[in-house]
Amino acid sequence: MESRTFILKHKLPIARVEKYWKGLEEGKVYGTVCKICGAKYYPPQVDCSKCYNSEVEWVEISGEGTIECFTQLHSFPQGFEFVGRPYTIAIAKFGDFKVMGWYEGDIPKVGEKVKIKTGKDETGVWKVYFEPWGELNEHRL
Amino acid sequence: MRVGIIGVGCSKFGVRDDVTLQELAFEAVKEAIEDAGISKEDIEMSVVGTAGTRSYELMPAVPINEYCGFTGKGPIRVEAACATGSAAVYTAYSTIKSGIADVVIAIGVEKMNEVDTPTSLAVGGRSGSYLWEFHQYGTTFPGYYAMHASAHMARYGTTEKQLAMVAVKNHRNAAKNPKAQFQKEITLEKALSSRYVAYPLRLFDCSAITDGSAAAILASEEKIKELGLKDQAVWIEGIGYSSDTANLSKRIDYVGLKATVEASRMAYKMAKIDDPVKQLDVAALHDCFTIAEIMAYEDLGFCKKGEGGKFIENGDSDFGGKIPVNTFGGLKAKGHPLGATGVGMVYEIVKQLRGEAGELQVDLKNYKGLTHNIGGTGHFGWVFILGV
Repeated sequence: MESRTFILKHKLPIARVEKYWKGLEEGKVYGTVCKICGAKYYPPQVDCSKCYNSEVEWVEISGEGTIECFTQLHSFPQGFEFVGRPYTIAIAKFGDFKVMGWYEGDIPKVGEKVKIKTGKDETGVWKVYFEPWGELNEHRL
Repeated sequence: MRVGIIGVGCSKFGVRDDVTLQELAFEAVKEAIEDAGISKEDIEMSVVGTAGTRSYELMPAVPINEYCGFTGKGPIRVEAACATGSAAVYTAYSTIKSGIADVVIAIGVEKMNEVDTPTSLAVGGRSGSYLWEFHQYGTTFPGYYAMHASAHMARYGTTEKQLAMVAVKNHRNAAKNPKAQFQKEITLEKALSSRYVAYPLRLFDCSAITDGSAAAILASEEKIKELGLKDQAVWIEGIGYSSDTANLSKRIDYVGLKATVEASRMAYKMAKIDDPVKQLDVAALHDCFTIAEIMAYEDLGFCKKGEGGKFIENGDSDFGGKIPVNTFGGLKAKGHPLGATGVGMVYEIVKQLRGEAGELQVDLKNYKGLTHNIGGTGHFGWVFILGV
C-alpha cells in the first residue's frame, strides 16, 4: 500500500550570499576572497574556513575557462523533469576558481575553452551557463 | 587490545518490497547472531547505520533496534552516505576500544525502492552540496561519477570498454552469489550497447537501486577468549578514514578520490601493509560505478595512477589475478543498499578469510583482506584491513 503524501519544501537562507544571487541576475558570477588570509571560495562563502575570519571581498569570475570534467544526464532527478532533454553539467576552471555550470552544447571535451554567463531556467532559478568559444575550440587541448 | 569480528550476516539484496526496514534488518541480525554462536543477550550495544531519506521511516534506528530486540542497548545511529555501513563498523570498533562495551553489533540497512527512480536520483543529487549543485544544476550520483569518468578518460585514455569490463567481471562473480541482486552474467557487448544514464556512463556502468541489510558482531579480544570464539574471529588490523569537500568545484582534480588515498595510507600504516597487492588476498572495493573501481585500484596503490584501465583489462583484479576484487559481485551486481554496503563488504571479507566463500573462495596466502567504502564521490572514505 501507499504511505500518506508528505511534501518537503525548504526555505533557503541566502541572506549572507545575496550578492551572488543578485550578481547572477546582472550577468555576473562572484566568488569570494578572504581579506585576511587570501583563501578563495567558489561557491562563495563569507566565513573563511581556513583562518576563521569573516571579512571577504567579492570578486567577479570572468574570462576564458577550461572544462575539467563534465557529464550529460539522460536519467533525470525529481525536480528537473521540466528540462525535457538531456542536459550537460560541467566544471570549468577560471584562474583560481572552479565553477559548475550548464554547458550550452551537446558533448563538450575536457580541455575545451568556454565563456561564463548567467541565465535562468524555466523554473526561474538563476545559474551559470558555459558557452563554447566557437572557433577557439579548434584548438581544443 | 584487539577487536575481532565474531559473527556476520547478510540479507538477500535486491528489490525487497516483501519486507519492512525492520524486518529486513532482522534477517541480517539473526544470521550474524547464529553465525557468532552467541546469545542475543551477550550483545551490549547496537549501532544502526542507515542513510535514510528514501524510506518512509524517517528516524529508523529505534524502530529497527526495537524489532531486533535491542531496546535499551543503544542504538547509535550513524550516517555517512554510501559509506554509512563502514561508519557503523567503526563506531562499534571504537565503542569496544574505549572500554564502554565488549560486544557490539553493527547493523547496516537500507530500503531504497520505497520511492521511485526520479526521487531516488534526486536524493543522490541533493547529497552533494544542495544549494550550489543540485538546486541549480540538477546533479545526480551517476552524474558525479560520470564527471570523474570524463576526466579519467581524457587524461589517461581509459576506455568505455575498460569500464564495461569491470561490470562484466562483477556480474560474473554475482552470478555465483545467491544473495546478489543480479545473479546473471552479462556480455561486454550488452554492457557497451546499454543506454547512457549519465554520459559517459551507461546503464551497466551503474549499480542499481537496492534494498538490503548486513550485520557484524564485534568483540574485544578478552571477551572473544572468554566466549571461546578465538578460532572464528577475524581481526580488524587496520582502519583508515578521510573525507573531501562537499562541493566538487573545490576538488583538486577529478581523476581519483583523495579520501581513498588518505584512508588507505592510514589503514596500511596501522596494519603494516607496504605492498597491498602482495600482502592482501582479496579486496571489496567501492564500485558504485565502474569508474569508481578503476580509480580505487589506483588510489589504493594496487597499480600506478592512470593504469586502472589496464589493471582490469589484464585480469589483475579477477580470480587468479594479482588481487581478486569484488568476489561477491560488488556494488555493481551484488547491489548497493547504502547503509548495508560497508557492513556487507566486511561480511564478504570475513567469509573469504574463514574459507567459507564456496564457489567464490579465493586462495588464501596471507589471510588478509581489505574493504574500501566511499560515501558520495569521496565525500567520505573508509578502508579496513581484516586478518586472521
